[in-house]
Amino acid sequence: MSSTGPTPGGPPQVTSLSCPSCGAILTVRSFSHAVTIVCDSCHSILDAQDPRLEVLQKFEAATREVPLIPLGARGTIRGTQYEVIGFQRRTIQVDGTPYSWHEYLLFNPFKGFRYLTEYNGHWNDVSSLRALPEVSPGASTLRYLGETYRHFQTANATTSYVLGEFPWQVRVGETAEVSDYVSPPRVISSENTGKEVTWSMGEYIMGNDLWKAFKLPGQAPVPIGVYENQPSPLRANVKIVWSLVAIFLMALTVLLIGFYSTAQDRQVFSQSYEFDTNVKGEASFVTDVFELTGHTSDVDLSTTANVNNNWIYLNYALINQDTGHAYDFGREVSYYHGYDSDGSWSEGSSHDAVTIPSVPPGNYYLRVEPESDLHRGTIYYTITLKRDVPQITFFGLGALALLVPAGLITWRSMNFEHLRWAESDYGGTPAGGSLENTVESIVDSVKSMGDDE
Amino acid sequence: MIRTLFLLYGLAVLGGVSLAEYQGWSLNRVDEVLHVPKSVRDNPGSYRSVYGYYHHYTGGK
Repeated sequence: MSSTGPTPGGPPQVTSLSCPSCGAILTVRSFSHAVTIVCDSCHSILDAQDPRLEVLQKFEAATREVPLIPLGARGTIRGTQYEVIGFQRRTIQVDGTPYSWHEYLLFNPFKGFRYLTEYNGHWNDVSSLRALPEVSPGASTLRYLGETYRHFQTANATTSYVLGEFPWQVRVGETAEVSDYVSPPRVISSENTGKEVTWSMGEYIMGNDLWKAFKLPGQAPVPIGVYENQPSPLRANVKIVWSLVAIFLMALTVLLIGFYSTAQDRQVFSQSYEFDTNVKGEASFVTDVFELTGHTSDVDLSTTANVNNNWIYLNYALINQDTGHAYDFGREVSYYHGYDSDGSWSEGSSHDAVTIPSVPPGNYYLRVEPESDLHRGTIYYTITLKRDVPQITFFGLGALALLVPAGLITWRSMNFEHLRWAESDYGGTPAGGSLENTVESIVDSVKSMGDDE
Repeated sequence: MIRTLFLLYGLAVLGGVSLAEYQGWSLNRVDEVLHVPKSVRDNPGSYRSVYGYYHHYTGGK
């Protein structure tokens, strides 16, 4: 047995041993910190503090696990170089289905131990807590350093595979009750073995960042699904988008007020006519010429008729006297009413209005051609034209155009949270409610916007 | 990224609403006819609307 001192900046320094069970060479990287060593060849768990390396346990592995980050690999995490010295697979059963994750034990002779955990391509950088968190009554939440963590899951985790060395008496088959509390990107976990409770904090870390840190070849496995403390890429977007929506809605209101206060909204023509339905023959006529001033804008034409259980249809053509450009349309004014077994009823109206879009300035007249049933007496009607009338429709559409994408982004964010919590003990709904969280974030963003101003 | 995209989108919406309002756009569609002869003023019957002979509702309940 030979040993050399730790030199984290240089090449890996190891102690060489032989497995008493199979004779394979063992390496010890954490020196006197190692309590158990696992033989990679025969899966014997050995007592590292016994000079004879007593075999504590020998386990059968159905499949040989190959760590994604090999034992002995060195990488810099948070400015400190660590070496991977141990690897274990832990498994929980949920509704009879086993779910396994992997834990990598990292060691630095000056900084001690920390862990990397991996589940379906999701990685966490884990270290022990230095103070106890405050657990709420009922253990639905806990607080640590001013931050609230929501309970996510409690399950019995069984160690199902081990490799390398560990600073504790590791055994395959040993179980602990594991509870996770999340506040993305962090998770606080407690492990209760029945004899002691240990607390640790994990922070979500991108696999590719680890690949760079450990200089591993290729790319990190692509994460599958949404992990319990995976930060939502959309949560920040929700805040940003709703802040902008609030600003744009205010701007839209200012525009609305501006357009309503500056629009001409001027009556340019109004004339009353009568239509004798008893007279056959050409009923069409033209009005006097009137001027539409200002820039290209709309014209609002309204018709009021004294129809009573009757109708009148008016073929209109707004014709530019100079260019011969005509806007052709027809409007019906009809009003019916009566009384039957259901009571009184009415349909239609004696008033009709229509907007003719984008009419350039110029001298115009109307060609009007009334129609109705024969022998229904005389129908009196009034035609009124107004120029540059503000339309609220586009302000409504503008507000909708702002709200719809913001709503979609919010929905996607909520869906992300739903997927996260679907894997929890709560099956899709967090203890505090994801909708509540989303609304809170919107309110927060609007408040912070007000504070900024 | 999303801030810039939504900022541009929102500005486009405001610009679109302003243009629509200024130009007097409407969701109503009317037919436009070019080169209507000046003689229509003297003989209105010489022009026929595309909406003439519309099948009118003459009902009531």
